[in-house]
Amino acid sequence: MRRSVWFWLATGIILAVIVLPMIWIYLTSFKPPEDIFTLGVRKLFIFRPTLDNYSYLFVWTDFFKEMRNTAIMAVASTALVMVVSLPAAYSFARWNTGGGMLLFVTISTRMFPAVVASIPFFFWFRSMGLLDTHIGLILLLFYFNMSFATFLLFGFFKEIARELEDAAMVDGYGRLEIFRRIIFPLIKPGASITAVFCLIWAWNEFLFSFLFTRTDAKTISVGISLFWAALNIQWGPMAACVGLAIIPTLIAAWFMQRYIVRGLTFGAVKG
Amino acid sequence: MLANVDEAAYGVQRKTTFWETLTSEKYFKWTLIIPLVVTLAIFMIYPMIYCLYYSTHEYAIALGKTPVFLGWDNYRFVLHDITFWKALGRTFRVLVMCIAGELLLGMGIALLWNREFRGQNITRGLGLLPLLISPLAMSMIWNYVLQYDFGIVNQLLEGVGLSKIMWWSTERAMYSVTFITIWKWFPFSIFVLLAGMKGLPRDAFEAAKVDGASAWFTFRKLTLPMLMPLIMIIVLLRTMWLIRIFDPLYGTTRGGSATEVLDWLVYRTSFVFFDVGVGSTLAMISLFLTIIICALLFRQLMIALGASK
Repeated sequence: MRRSVWFWLATGIILAVIVLPMIWIYLTSFKPPEDIFTLGVRKLFIFRPTLDNYSYLFVWTDFFKEMRNTAIMAVASTALVMVVSLPAAYSFARWNTGGGMLLFVTISTRMFPAVVASIPFFFWFRSMGLLDTHIGLILLLFYFNMSFATFLLFGFFKEIARELEDAAMVDGYGRLEIFRRIIFPLIKPGASITAVFCLIWAWNEFLFSFLFTRTDAKTISVGISLFWAALNIQWGPMAACVGLAIIPTLIAAWFMQRYIVRGLTFGAVKG
Repeated sequence: MLANVDEAAYGVQRKTTFWETLTSEKYFKWTLIIPLVVTLAIFMIYPMIYCLYYSTHEYAIALGKTPVFLGWDNYRFVLHDITFWKALGRTFRVLVMCIAGELLLGMGIALLWNREFRGQNITRGLGLLPLLISPLAMSMIWNYVLQYDFGIVNQLLEGVGLSKIMWWSTERAMYSVTFITIWKWFPFSIFVLLAGMKGLPRDAFEAAKVDGASAWFTFRKLTLPMLMPLIMIIVLLRTMWLIRIFDPLYGTTRGGSATEVLDWLVYRTSFVFFDVGVGSTLAMISLFLTIIICALLFRQLMIALGASK
């Protein structure tokens, strides 16, 4: 009994440290300015609720455009990642193409500092007129997610039994048909976990969207950063914006909780 | 193969089409990775060559000059620049503090949660949250929570009769940044280690229990050595990501208050001052450092993997 008291005390503290900052943001988003800047512990939770911050967000900023942009680009880049990573990961897992070397190079793109890549891309994109366009950022998000997606998918493909393919070969299927009819249905769960990861990462990405978008294609991360104007930060609208912007990831977390844990630990555990 | 069938059926030698070659038994595995290789060439080789080229040139876009060849002058300049060494030092301080903090917390909590308990799914689900929140939103949240005047932490401190603390002052800002980075990433260690603990062989632990080994002894002699490969993987991955720490700074200090780390310096040189020559040089140095450190860690990982088998 004593043990379980200590256990729940520790767990409670851990969860409080995780959850309280977020609750605090949601509380702030309903506060009028005078209550945001007011002092005194009692006032932290007792205040006059208002929707002013949200109406400011919806009327005076590009909130909806930013959300739409982010959603479009996250989905498009994830689709692109899948088109490139699925066949490549299959090839690596099935034939060990390139003797592991190529897979290592692919993974090492994550070692490559994003800031390094952004210098050449910036001037390249500028000369091609891709700055502040959806296509430009989709390409960058694709590059950002590709290597880890390949790595995750590689692990999932490794789990598929080779015998299935051999049996299909005997039945006279071509390679392309085997991939389409045998492998693809089996990889679907793993592929969806990977896709959710790519979506979340693309949604959260900041450095590239900050450097490469200004108005037309700006993402929600850029939108959040804009509340920090020259001198002061507009805390109320910022809290509202952050609160709404993280909701899609929270929903994803809720539905995918078990799979995300599996996906995260998968590569690590299987080595 | 298809061509042979045609030949047999119609008695004519038909030339294999390009598509048939691509999907043939021999070339199919290479066909599958063509898109990946093309992507790698564009997105990896090109930037590297570009940076290597301009790191040997004087090229300040803001001044509107054409690049001038300098040889190793940019490297000499950077290596004699105190700003660079300070930024490098800060990067490594954050790196070491974050990894140590995350591993200690992660190991402790993983040990704590490595059992069946009521509400374990919701607990773990909540534990996952910091990992999924965007790093920028996270840093803005913490900037707000740790504000001097009206941040909740200082208000609570004052509420219990302590004095307020300047969390974003020059002396403390680096530690605050470290703290919020740990807050964001400690669940990663928890979940990787939890998964590792689930996979440990049970009989060894039962034998230790029968022999009356203490919990600490079991942990030190059984759990820790067996989890070593996973710990090394965490260290490797986190090192790769932490060397390029950028987002937590943007929402908090923006490189001020003595928190300018290596990636921020690259960003400031190339995108604020538009000095592409020096920026590329910094970028190349940062890349070399990452590769060297990761290669060393990778060897350690291989050793740890070998030892556990």
